[in-house]
Amino acid sequence: MSPIDWAVLFTALACFVAYGVWRSRGESHLHDFLLAGRKMRWGTVAFSVMATQASAVTFLSTPGQGYVDGLRFVQFYFGLPLAMVILCITAIPIYHRLGVFTAYEYLERRFDGKTRSLAAGLFLIQRGLAAGITLYAPALVLSVILGWDIGWTCVLLGGLAVVYTTTGGSKAVSHTHVLQFAIIMTTMVAAFVLILMSLPAGISPGDAAYVAAQGGKLNALQARFDPNDRYNLWSGLIGGFFLQLSYFGTDQSQVGRYLTGQSVTQSRLGLLFNGLAKVPMQLFILSLGVLVFVFHLFVAPPVFFNPAVRETLASGPAAAEYQALELRHRLAADARANEARAMIAARRSVDAPGLASAETRFVEAQQELAKTRTETVALIRAQDPGAQTSDTNYVFLSFVLAHLPVGLIGLVFAAVFAASMNSSSAELNALTSTTVVDVYKRIVPGGDGRRDVWVSRVATLAWAAFAVGFAEFASRLGSLIEAVNIVGSLFYGTILGIFLTAFYLPRVGGTAVFVAAMVAEVAVIACFKLTAISFLWYNLIGCALVMVIALLISALMVRKRA
Amino acid sequence: MKPVEEPPPFLGSWSALYAVVVIELLLVIVLCGWLSRWGR
Repeated sequence: MSPIDWAVLFTALACFVAYGVWRSRGESHLHDFLLAGRKMRWGTVAFSVMATQASAVTFLSTPGQGYVDGLRFVQFYFGLPLAMVILCITAIPIYHRLGVFTAYEYLERRFDGKTRSLAAGLFLIQRGLAAGITLYAPALVLSVILGWDIGWTCVLLGGLAVVYTTTGGSKAVSHTHVLQFAIIMTTMVAAFVLILMSLPAGISPGDAAYVAAQGGKLNALQARFDPNDRYNLWSGLIGGFFLQLSYFGTDQSQVGRYLTGQSVTQSRLGLLFNGLAKVPMQLFILSLGVLVFVFHLFVAPPVFFNPAVRETLASGPAAAEYQALELRHRLAADARANEARAMIAARRSVDAPGLASAETRFVEAQQELAKTRTETVALIRAQDPGAQTSDTNYVFLSFVLAHLPVGLIGLVFAAVFAASMNSSSAELNALTSTTVVDVYKRIVPGGDGRRDVWVSRVATLAWAAFAVGFAEFASRLGSLIEAVNIVGSLFYGTILGIFLTAFYLPRVGGTAVFVAAMVAEVAVIACFKLTAISFLWYNLIGCALVMVIALLISALMVRKRA
Repeated sequence: MKPVEEPPPFLGSWSALYAVVVIELLLVIVLCGWLSRWGR
């Protein structure tokens, strides 16, 4: 990166932190620190909710996913708008009416203390580990691309978020979310326009869409039902609906964002805006990756996008083999570029036989390119069995560094840092709320607001230290990250089942739902261990089991009593 | 706190706003289907 890019990056980071601290000065009550005094309007709620969900990995891996796999990942979000509507009808009025700080507080009022403790405990374990991964995942990519030490990158990412989250609490988090999210989206739009302008002369947006389609990248909808297929219309609409319902309705990192709304109306409007904007936004970010794919149809891509792995191969014992693969890859890329141009020319001149033949040769060139990549990945694995063999997260930043103008490069990196700070700060604030409200205040009731705020600040610092420590630990245990992600999806359905039982089954009591949650959790873990069912369905299975078993136990208890 | 059933500032009723969200989702799904079909 050039000195101008470094200046843009560090100025932006300093502005984010200073803005957060400035907007939240004078917090002296727990109500202000954990819920921003419930004074936020719907625009702030909407941006805060969207910024919390869109972590740095979203902005790194989604364009990469578009490049590799096309638009199909968008189906993952189809259930989200429906979940927003249900939450507006159900959860928001209840949480506001009861004036709760956390979602789990409601469970004690509806059931009992043990159900609240179970849900809060599951959240603290799952979100505490996830906070470490939220820091680790972008730190890994940034450290490779910028040549930084990964440990210090984790400390920097965590340190930036913790400064304003500790001093200003929820208010600082909400206000910085608005600023950071606006910068992220502006940067993404600027990158999209510049990539479009970087296409070779004579290639129109229509031509770009056509060659992307020929490359299989416009596969936005798969209507065939297959429970083992991770992304299709049905898994997105049904499995995704339950996942989003659980995430937005029961995960304090989201509940804490919309409870900052000054009324039911403001919180509802914030969530509905998310329901309107989220799917088009994801489609746009995936399209950015598809556009990078189109760009690389005419400008040869690297054989592998992770520069550190490439350097290791080029200077290692298999250097000659790697160079031969690189050469083959470049020749195949040149052939594919020629066929892409031939396809476009034949399509324009309405030359049907010429078009058919160019399309066949394009597919062949594409297959040759894929073959050299597969062989490269095999070589990487042969040289180092523990090496990262997925380079999806490196696609976008590699493109940015190599092809975007000075100044915008620094801004894109600032956007990645901002996205990491967004999700980390919301996570830290939610972990703090749950620790203070669902644990500390139950053990040490009473106390004045000032003391509670200081306890919250200490809790934020402690969770930040834990997250950074876990991120450092995770950097030495690659497989643990996948495990942590799976752990999250294993619990969401059960927690959602507890909440939906609370909302919709008024006759079910605390003991019935507690036992049902335990049984459902065992069943979900059995599904994970013994079947190939895609993880999105665990949310539906866990939720349905809790509700059905709770109903049965409740009926049995009534009969026994009678 | 304001009343729970306060009408939204746009479109007059919450049901109408919910319908807008659902209709937009349907339109996006139709767009995705059209893109996939065009791409085949």
